[in-house]
Amino acid sequence: MSTQLCTIKGSRDGLVVTITDASRFDHVLDALERQLIASESFFQGSSAKLLVKQGTLTSSQIDEIEGLLAQHGMRLDRRPPNLGISPRERGPVPESEPERLEDSTLLVRRTIRSGQRLHYDGNVVVMGDVNPGAEIVCSGDILVLGALRGVAHAGAEGKTDAIVFAFRLEPTQLRIAHLISRAPDEKLPQPQGPEVARVVGDRIQLSVYSH
Amino acid sequence: MGKVIVITSGKGGVGKTTTTANLGTGLAAAGQKVCLVDTDIGLRNLDVVMGLENRIVYDLLHVVEGQCRLRQALIKDKQFGDRLVLLPAPQTREKDAVTPEQMKELMKELREEYDFVLLDSPAGIEHGFKNAVAGADAAIVVTTPEIAAVRDADRIIGLLEAAELYDPGLVINRVRPGMVRRGDMMSISDIDDILAIDILGVVPDDQDIIVSTNRGEPVVTDSKSRAGQAYRNIVRRILGEEVPLMNLQERGVMNWFKRILSGEAQ
Repeated sequence: MSTQLCTIKGSRDGLVVTITDASRFDHVLDALERQLIASESFFQGSSAKLLVKQGTLTSSQIDEIEGLLAQHGMRLDRRPPNLGISPRERGPVPESEPERLEDSTLLVRRTIRSGQRLHYDGNVVVMGDVNPGAEIVCSGDILVLGALRGVAHAGAEGKTDAIVFAFRLEPTQLRIAHLISRAPDEKLPQPQGPEVARVVGDRIQLSVYSH
Repeated sequence: MGKVIVITSGKGGVGKTTTTANLGTGLAAAGQKVCLVDTDIGLRNLDVVMGLENRIVYDLLHVVEGQCRLRQALIKDKQFGDRLVLLPAPQTREKDAVTPEQMKELMKELREEYDFVLLDSPAGIEHGFKNAVAGADAAIVVTTPEIAAVRDADRIIGLLEAAELYDPGLVINRVRPGMVRRGDMMSISDIDDILAIDILGVVPDDQDIIVSTNRGEPVVTDSKSRAGQAYRNIVRRILGEEVPLMNLQERGVMNWFKRILSGEAQ
């Protein structure tokens, strides 16, 4: 039981110490120590980032973790892991919103031009246009705060409830999960406002965005 | 210290060389010291457009390989002499005969001597393009109102950003106002919508260009030509003047009459 409170795993972003429930901090610390002992000196000399899935850690608790890691020859990297959530030092996290790894979001503050391809594990938000000949592929949602005229593939790993949103949704081709749709060959009147594409049944459907 | 500007487009045949020749000549006419460099190795034609083909002895490759001094390879313009010179490209070699590092060195040298160095880039995004952008401080992207040309211009703007050449100026070439009005050609705002970079100038499609190109005398010095006027405006903008985009409406009684009927003329 208690071993699941805390895991040390390698990830795309190096070693990550994942704490599933910060409210049971004493047990977390025990679990971490057991893990470190069990791993012998396997992790020695490496640095790890901290990921808290539920609850929060105070800064003194983070210091304690850092001390414990140091005893085992490891450093704590206080930057947030690239794929997840930073160590939260204040503010409770509502229990109803458990953070998930795939919720990481890439913010792109420029226009993606022809020939440029963006691949990301998570959601993508583009503050700019996605021009014809450009391509965005990601495992989550795609939001374009501008015109989407290129190719967008949301939910690329099979997430059928992924959406594609754009202020002007005029893509060359739209893909969500395994479904593909393309712009009709005849010219349509340009959309007047933000639109969103999602899977309805076994087709990709566009609708005017309303919240 | 002069400024090195690369003139590029991605797509071929949109008027890079004509633009280079005209802007260079225009800048020289405005009193600047200008050097034009043809980087289209193996497919040179800036020398032809400038009417200087028969004066070539040494070329860019001779200079970077140290077979001659830089000064020996620079060809003086017929009209402007020392103020406008051309460094021609070798015609018998391949693009990879020159490296980006060599180009950077060369530009360093030319920048000392001239107010403006204009690099005529080859079409494409390969070695020749990389050579052309290597030593540049700024870029001008040439396009025409066609979807393929605009698409390639977009690609080039992305590649220029990757080469740390930000905020290029856009020259839209061969615009036919009549066709735009009828909705048969992309309009300036259609192009601006996609590329979203500063428009340096709009050049109307003009038969004078073909005549002047064949004669080897850039149209920018022809005070009666509409395209010449457009190039002179671009030169003034490069020199920092605020010049409004010219009205591209075709002149002539019939056109005036048509515009009255369509309610365009006020």
